[in-house]
Parts: sequence; C-alpha cells; structure tokens
Amino acid sequence: MKNVLLIIKKEFNRFFKDRRMILMLFLPGLLIFCLYSLIGTVMEKAAPTIPEGYKPTVYFCRLPDGFLSENDLKLLEGKDFETLEEAKSNVAEGTLDIVVEFQANFTAAVEGSSRPEVKVYYNSSVQTSIVGYTLATGILSGHNAFTVNSTPTEKFDLVDEDEQVTNIFAMVIPLLMFSLLASSCISVAPEAIAGEKERGTMATMLITPVKRIEIVLGKILSLSCYAMLSGIISFLGVILSLPKLSGGLLNLGAVSYGVGTYFMLFGLIISIVLVMISAFSVLSTLAKNVKEATAFIGPLMLVIILLGMSSMFFTNPSVGLYAIPFIGSGIAMSAVLSTTASALGVVLAILSNLVLTALLVVLMGFMFKKENIMLKK
Amino acid sequence: MEEILKVEGLTKTFKQPKKLFKKAEGPETVVAVNNLSFAAYKGEIFGLLGPNGAGKTTTLRILATLIKPDSGNAHICGKSVVSEEDEVRKKIGFLTSELKLEDAFTPDYLFDFFSGLYGIDKSIAQSRKFSLFQKFGIDAFKNQKYGNLSTGMKQKVALVVSIAHDPEFIIFDEPTNGLDVLTARVVTDFLQELRADGKTIILSTHIFSLVEKLCDRVGILIDGKLAALDTLENLTKEKNLEDTFFELYEKVTGAKI
Repeated sequence: MKNVLLIIKKEFNRFFKDRRMILMLFLPGLLIFCLYSLIGTVMEKAAPTIPEGYKPTVYFCRLPDGFLSENDLKLLEGKDFETLEEAKSNVAEGTLDIVVEFQANFTAAVEGSSRPEVKVYYNSSVQTSIVGYTLATGILSGHNAFTVNSTPTEKFDLVDEDEQVTNIFAMVIPLLMFSLLASSCISVAPEAIAGEKERGTMATMLITPVKRIEIVLGKILSLSCYAMLSGIISFLGVILSLPKLSGGLLNLGAVSYGVGTYFMLFGLIISIVLVMISAFSVLSTLAKNVKEATAFIGPLMLVIILLGMSSMFFTNPSVGLYAIPFIGSGIAMSAVLSTTASALGVVLAILSNLVLTALLVVLMGFMFKKENIMLKK
Repeated sequence: MEEILKVEGLTKTFKQPKKLFKKAEGPETVVAVNNLSFAAYKGEIFGLLGPNGAGKTTTLRILATLIKPDSGNAHICGKSVVSEEDEVRKKIGFLTSELKLEDAFTPDYLFDFFSGLYGIDKSIAQSRKFSLFQKFGIDAFKNQKYGNLSTGMKQKVALVVSIAHDPEFIIFDEPTNGLDVLTARVVTDFLQELRADGKTIILSTHIFSLVEKLCDRVGILIDGKLAALDTLENLTKEKNLEDTFFELYEKVTGAKI
C-alpha cells in the first residue's frame, strides 16, 4: 500500500505542478460554460415566434359584468371549464394559456374600502401562456382599486418545475457526463502509461522491487482522481450554463434532489471513471507511444459514449440491464436524475463497473509483467 | 572469493518484427544470447565487451530482471533472476541510457521517490542523499527540473538515483557515454570507490581504455557467445586490449576488419 501511495503522490506531483495539466483541468469546463451560454443566447434569439394575431386562450373565473371592455375581450379567446381546478390543470398541461380568477364579491370589495386581488395563472414553459400572462397583466395594471397576483405564498406559474428540470437532466446529463468523463480520461491515460513507456521512465520503475500490481493501482487511482476532478469541473460548467441554454425558462432552483440522489450520482460517477480509466489504461499499456495509445482509445471512447447514450432508449429497463457496464451506468444515472431510480439498480450498475475495473486491473498487472508489451519499441 | 553473480547457460531468442506488405527477409528469430555462462565476484569490476548486437544489452537486461531468458538462469547474491525477481531487484542498481528519469521532477524529488520505492528508511535515505549529492556536486542543481539539466548533470543524477538503495551488485551500461571529460572522470573515480567498498560491478562499454583502466576481468561477447573470459593481463598479454579484441573478432567471425 505504501508503494501505491508513493506512485499516486508522484502522479499528483506531475499533474498539479504542470501548468498545462492544470489548464487542461479547468479548460473543458470553462469552454463548455461559454459555448453552451452562447448557444443558449443564439437559441433565445431564434426562438419560434407566435403567429401574428394569435389570441391567447383564457378561462375567466367570476369575471364581473362589464369589467373588461369590448376591445380588451377581442385580444383574448375565452374558454369554458367546469371548475377552476380543471382550468388550472389545463394551464399546467399547456392546453390552456391562462386562468384569470377574480376574488369572490369582487365588485363589492372594490366599492368598499378593501383592495381585492385578481389572480392570473400561467405556465412559464409555454410561450403562448407567457404572451397571455403579459397581455392580461397589462390590461389589469394601472388600477388602484385591486391588486394582481399579490398573495406572496401562492404559486401562479403552474409549470411542474421539478418534472421539467429532472426530465431535462435525466435526458441530457448522462450523455454529457459520459462525454466529459471520457474526454478527461483520454487526456491523462495515454500520457501516464504509454508516455512513460515512450520516454523510458516506466522501465526505470520496473527494475525497482515494487510489485507490478502496485504500479498499476497507483496509476489507476491517481488518474481516476484527476479525471474525476476534471469531469466534475466540466459538470459544473454544464450545470451553470443550463439556465442560459434553456433560454432562461429552466429554473434550477426548482431542483430538489435529496442527499440520496447526490450520493448515488457520486457513486456512479466514481465507478464510471474507474472503469473508463482502467479500459483506457489497458489500451495505453498495449501501445508503444502516446500517439498509438490515442489512436487505440479513440474508437473505444466513441463506443462508451454511445453505450451511455443508449439509456435514452430504455423506457422500462429490466434489472439485468443495470449489470451491463456503461449501459447500466447510463440507465442508472438517468433514473437517479429523474428520481425514479431503484437502489438495487444503482448498486448493480456500480458493482458491475467495479468488477470490470478489478478485472482490467488484474489484466494490466499481467501485461506489466510481459516484456514484449512493456519494453516494446 | 565470494561469488556474487553466477550466470549459467543463459539463452535468449527474439522474434524478428513482421513487416506489413513486405516479405520478411532472413531468419524469423535471432539468438541474442547463446548459452552464456560466467561469474563475478565480490569487489570486482567485470567488463563486458563486444560489438553492437553481440548480446551485451540483452544480458544486462536479463540480469536486471527486465526480461526473462528462454533457458538458463542467473543468480545474484544467491537469488534467481527467473524466480526471485523482487529479491534480485532489491540487490541491484542499473544505470543505462535506456532507463530514463522524468523531466518534470527535480533530482531531490527523484532521489526521495526511488529510495521510497526501494523501501529505504527516510533518515537513512536523507543521509545517503546528502553524501551522494555532495560527492557529485548535485546540491547546486538539486531543485532544478531534471529536463532542464545538461547531459552531464543528468548522468550524475541518474547514477546517484540508480544506487540510492546502496545495492550490492551494480550494472553500468555505457556509464560515460556522452559525458564531458570532467564528468567522465568523476564517474570512473566513483566506480573505483564502489569497488573499494566491496561492490560488484558489471561494466558494459565500447571504450577499450575504460575497460583497461577499471576492469579486473573481461568477458568478450561476439554473436551472443562468450568468445573470451579472463583477467585483463592474461587476455592481452603483451598487446593492448583493442588489438586483442579485433584479433579475436576476426578469428571468431571470419570477417576481415
């Protein structure tokens, strides 16, 4: 164990004393943040416009007679519902733009001394609902006799924020995480193993009494830490740019994941990094130089990203699928983010990654003993 | 005399690399070392002399446990290079241009790192580092990155790191290659000091004068076989080593130099 720690420390020294490596640690996250924010801005500008003359649909609840002028009513298209709740659920589903609810005994209240309230319900994820809301509040503004949406405790935006955000996360994050983690792993594995072989520094370590498996473990663990750090920084870049990417409609404050979700996510990320680093390290060990290692790893990286993406296509995955490395991780990550994950599925996904990592480490241990692999020129 | 190294019937064959789209010419395998046997004793500098491709580097790599022989064995301090590699590695130091140190680290860090890998106690390693760095003048550049050092400085650092664990048996492959005369002198003086300390040294070189100056016994390798093995005096008699070597080479290979 002492030798493993020595090798980890040496690798950390190499990573964190090299300005290029530190730059490479932060650069992908920064680039992702800038790129996604830029894409968000462009998309916002190019967002589909509502057709000219569109009349937002509205359900009036207790609309006092003669309260709105003929001209005002021409701007909106009235709809009828049995109950206020039914109308509100239609707004939430996006089939009705807005609901305008007048307080009971509104006219009497206006004529009396109290200021009654008019409530305008809308759905911020539907463009036409936002137009309807803007129109209605415009019409209702400028009156001192009543207030609009003044109850601070009430939620007037009927969008299901949790579901909106978690669904986007469940769809996008696994793909992004797989791509980011794979990019982080490919930036360090070839250099640390094939690079050391190419430079002749690996052979210097091989003539010391350190066991081959200790060298392998030291390499895998240190590379995993670096790749995970890089992956997490990139992940933060993604998270911070998501509001802009979603055109400001996505309210990240609405995400209410519990500690368990973060715990499962963390476990999955660690196990994915470990298995990716191990797989890339095996190919780097086979290669005689960094160039060859990168060429070997490139196709595998694409396959891994595709396997991670495959989670999008399984709507009702069986438990057995969780046990397939990469595919299971993608499915588990997606399920965790949409808060539908079962603990068994996540544990299976993590275990399958760890088992594969262990097998790859043992394989590397054997490879490190082979002179035709380690001393290949 | 205490036998530190015993080589018995060492043989190593390499496969020729296959070339794509081209018919391979010549044999598929090359015998690099052919039934090699010799011994080296405590406090001795044993010279291994031979032309390129004679099998010197392969022999040294086998002794350093980097590669395994196809047949035969070698024992260093009684430990087999075939079955007790980890034990052998504790007892040997290997300096060769083939083994490099990482450019990103300082000599100070490299010494600490390798003495750590050899399991040397920290306080012992520190005092050894202090004396070796002083002897080779490494103190002046111990905190500079290895990659920024001159060839001579690098060779001094590599030498010091290779013996960080105070090995009984030391393998030097062309230790003065590429060095200026001053550094080369420091290295050769140090080899003599090591011998005086009772260390056993295998020295592989092309430089006849170095062998004449340092070696107690010499083995001449030609085409993977030991063509001659004796003390320098017995081998050269009244000639110099260079003439003896070429005479032997012509006799063994039939080639005219």
